[in-house]
Amino acid sequence: MTDTLVKPDLSVLATPPPAPPRRRRIFRWFRGIHTLVFLLPLLVSFIVFSWIPIGRAVVMSFQKTNLITTQFVGIENFERVLSDPLLGTAVVNTLWFALLALLFGYPLPLITAVLMSEVKRAKGLFSALAYLPVVVPPVVAVLLWKFFYDASPTGVFNEILGYVGLGPFPWLQDAASAMPALVVEATWASAGGTIIIYLAALTSVAPELYDAAEVDGASIWKKIWHVTLPQLRGVLLITFILQIIGTAQVFLEPYLFTGGGPANSTITVLLLIYQYAFQNSLGGDYGSATALSIMLAVVLGLLTAVYFRLTKGWSS
Amino acid sequence: MKSIRTAAALTAVGALALGALTACATEPAVDPNAPVTLKVAIDAGLEQGAIDAFDARVDQFEDKYPNISVERQEYNWTGTTFAAELAGGTIPDVFTVPFTDGRGLIERGQLADISGIVADLPYAEEFNPNVALAGEDAEGNMWAVPIAAYGQGLHYNRALFEAAGLDPDSPPTTWDEVREAAKAIADETDAAGYAQMTSSNTGGWILTTLDYALGGRLEEVDGEEATSTIDTPEVAEALGLLHDMRWDDNSMGSNFLYDWGTINQDFAAGRIGMYVSGGGNYGSLVTQNAMNPDDYGVTVLPLADGGDAGVLGGGTLAAVSAKADAATQAAAVKWIDFYYIEKLTDKAAAQADAKALFDADAPVGAPTLPVFDKALYDENLTWVDEYINVPVEQMTPYTDNIFSQPLIPEPTKSTQEIYALLDPVVQAVLTDKNADIEKLLAEAQASAQAIIDRG
Amino acid sequence: MARSRRPVEQEDRGIISLADWRRPSIRRSTNLVHGVLLVVLFVVGLGPMLWLAKAAITPTQDTIRTPMALWPNGIDLDNLAEAWNRVEISTYFGNTLILAVGVWVVQILVSTTAGYALSVLRPKWGRIITGLVLATLFVPSIVLLVPLYLTVLDPPLLGTSLINTFWAVWLPAGANAFNVMLVKRFFDNLPFEIFEAARVDGAGPYRLFWSIVLPMSKPILGVVSVFAIIASWKDFLWPLLVLPNPALQPLSVRLPSIQRFIELDVFLAALAISTVIPVVLFLVFQRMFLNSAGLGGAVKG
Repeated sequence: MTDTLVKPDLSVLATPPPAPPRRRRIFRWFRGIHTLVFLLPLLVSFIVFSWIPIGRAVVMSFQKTNLITTQFVGIENFERVLSDPLLGTAVVNTLWFALLALLFGYPLPLITAVLMSEVKRAKGLFSALAYLPVVVPPVVAVLLWKFFYDASPTGVFNEILGYVGLGPFPWLQDAASAMPALVVEATWASAGGTIIIYLAALTSVAPELYDAAEVDGASIWKKIWHVTLPQLRGVLLITFILQIIGTAQVFLEPYLFTGGGPANSTITVLLLIYQYAFQNSLGGDYGSATALSIMLAVVLGLLTAVYFRLTKGWSS
Repeated sequence: MKSIRTAAALTAVGALALGALTACATEPAVDPNAPVTLKVAIDAGLEQGAIDAFDARVDQFEDKYPNISVERQEYNWTGTTFAAELAGGTIPDVFTVPFTDGRGLIERGQLADISGIVADLPYAEEFNPNVALAGEDAEGNMWAVPIAAYGQGLHYNRALFEAAGLDPDSPPTTWDEVREAAKAIADETDAAGYAQMTSSNTGGWILTTLDYALGGRLEEVDGEEATSTIDTPEVAEALGLLHDMRWDDNSMGSNFLYDWGTINQDFAAGRIGMYVSGGGNYGSLVTQNAMNPDDYGVTVLPLADGGDAGVLGGGTLAAVSAKADAATQAAAVKWIDFYYIEKLTDKAAAQADAKALFDADAPVGAPTLPVFDKALYDENLTWVDEYINVPVEQMTPYTDNIFSQPLIPEPTKSTQEIYALLDPVVQAVLTDKNADIEKLLAEAQASAQAIIDRG
Repeated sequence: MARSRRPVEQEDRGIISLADWRRPSIRRSTNLVHGVLLVVLFVVGLGPMLWLAKAAITPTQDTIRTPMALWPNGIDLDNLAEAWNRVEISTYFGNTLILAVGVWVVQILVSTTAGYALSVLRPKWGRIITGLVLATLFVPSIVLLVPLYLTVLDPPLLGTSLINTFWAVWLPAGANAFNVMLVKRFFDNLPFEIFEAARVDGAGPYRLFWSIVLPMSKPILGVVSVFAIIASWKDFLWPLLVLPNPALQPLSVRLPSIQRFIELDVFLAALAISTVIPVVLFLVFQRMFLNSAGLGGAVKG
């Protein structure tokens, strides 16, 4: 679920950089002009396309605009958003998606990676197969799966399940099964990346830890439980919070699969923001859209802060 | 001599001021011969042949009005980004919008007020009043010109009818017959008997269509006030019919999240027996979705007995961007007259346009509604008779009856937003067997009223 | 987590020890598990792609009626030609490429110059800038959506909207904090002595950048490139908003819209064509992809 606007994998930054050796500024005798020249692309990019828009978003959340006239309306946008019945639905749906993704999509890559880590031959083949779905453009994947999820008896999945006698399922056509269907596809599309991350982490577990465990007579399961998982703790914690943050911002799947339906059962917070801003053909409610996105940012920020506080002592 | 100079100066200033005032009092006259550049819309994704035909028309226009130079710009009406595109200035000066959005755009000042210039056109008074309504402001001035109109109809697949043992030349004329036909198709074939759009605001659109056909209305407008009338027996009846077909007869297939494009696709692929949509869908079905023309049939919507039942009408408006200045507006209206209207009123233009379409393998003669009056419409059909390439005999159940059905315009207040909130209502009825229709309608009406009141 | 540097005779092992491997029961059950896993990965990972390839050359009715059958009524190669020509997948494909290359250039430019400045040149206020850049990582991109859109609609100093130009996608891509931090960290780990030596030899800041630092940063440039191109290929919402002109849209934006205009079999052929290039690129550059992806868990000093 990555695009140029979504921050990709932050686990790189999980391992703190070694303290760089103290350096003199070697060009101190040149005036800072050269530094400025080198910093110019960054400064221009970030000032125009990052810092100012962030500030603008905060300001806009207190305004009402139709792009021609703008007026300051205080907290009216926030009130409007908070009193929108769809907001409650969107929040519940988003939490439901996150929970399902956690239950289904969090253990799966880990188990697969652990199984794959012991492969001796054709390791590359396993990795390639696992990562293949990640390479497929998300839009193609969703459109393809949308076809797979056709609810008629001759839909691809229904046909396959029919071979083993399982009845045709409504998939996206029923409020109860629509969200799980989305989670399955989302997991399919992103598990590969996580598997590769875990695989790399697994190779770095010190072998002598296993040796030590065996001396104590540990079975394979015990080794996994007492050595592997604790060693992976840092990565696991990072991928956990990243998954939460990522699933909280799910947009593409509900947008392309169901448009928020059936009966608003798959509308998520991001989809709601999009609807506020861009759904109305006569001019969107940009104030409400930015207000809701700010609220989401605050919630996610608090969540991350609390999470890191809680898990401070847990990673090695 | 100070005083004389001062007096002279004051007089001069006074004279200038007076002159300026007088100039402001009258409209600055638009010089009809001043050079103007006009950006006009052309459909996106056209084949080269169609683009050449368009350019040929542009040349003819520029010959007729040497001071206007026309630039064409690909443009597709995308509701989601229109407002931003307008603000960003990437909209052509002349473009088309669907009826539904006309009023809203006018109210928000996003269209230029060309009513004065339009009033000077020779046919300004002759528009079909129901059709003209969509492009008028609250006082009845025409800000956008209707260039095409259609009425809703019931499309059906003749091949599926035959396979189900029904007579394709006698399509259903009451809603009970629709229900029976749907059941027959579902029983005898593996297609859905009847399908309904439910997404991207089309859910509300078609539900409104059914509501009108059963004699109801979605809103009651009284001057500036509007009351939402969603929670009414007619809407409940429409939803009840859908519910019964879906859950009792199981004649609606298994896919319910259709929008305009996807339902056309499935219908063209022979997976749907009947559905309600705009009357002119033949073109999209055959050229874009490769439907077999022999399988296509269309009939009018069954209307309930009693006074108020009618057919929901729609269409296309040609409008001018609010950012166009006076000279551009005048040129724009000339273009609208030349490119969009002439083929409706002038024999030579109609034939040229039909020929171009015919040569490009586009359908000619698909059923529409008269923008002016029926007599002109019929005459137009005789002009282009040699180019008509659609199976008109298969469309007679529609064309024979549509003109006698009352044409009702769409609800005027907050239309798209209300359609959007009706989408989940229809989806709920079709996907949840235990959906509480009364509760859904009550909530929908409350939400709709809130939207209307908010303006 | 540091890989301990043990003497070479330490066995290279995972959870299962070498001794365990020698036991036939362990070996057999592990092989069985791996065999099952391989089949599962094949079906789950490759299956949908294979089906798409099959469906791309199957007529619509067959795909609808018997989706799992293998060409009961023959192959329809026209689908591919039609998708490429009539539906003009070639155009959208070209747009996707142009966007990806532009984004790549912008991101490389911004991240290398910024990383160099912050890491090697180290201005006094470098810490502040780094902090501000880092802070943006914690702001969800959705917050930026509307104001960035308005910025592109009415950019400062330019006076003309960037909507419907590729610049609207290229320029904002530069503000990618992740890449900047990645490159900066890499430069932090480069041996400082080399820079000092070059400086003593009389190299100016530009020469140092061009002739010393850049050539040494090939690995990280590879990683940033992979991220940039993949992200650009996948980008959906932003191009959807700023490129309303269909002729300019990349595949990811155009494919959902054209679904309603074309028959199912041509559409599936279009999907298949859109998948081929990324998959082929992946298969060819597998190692680079997987190494970049594993960066997070790998432990390099």
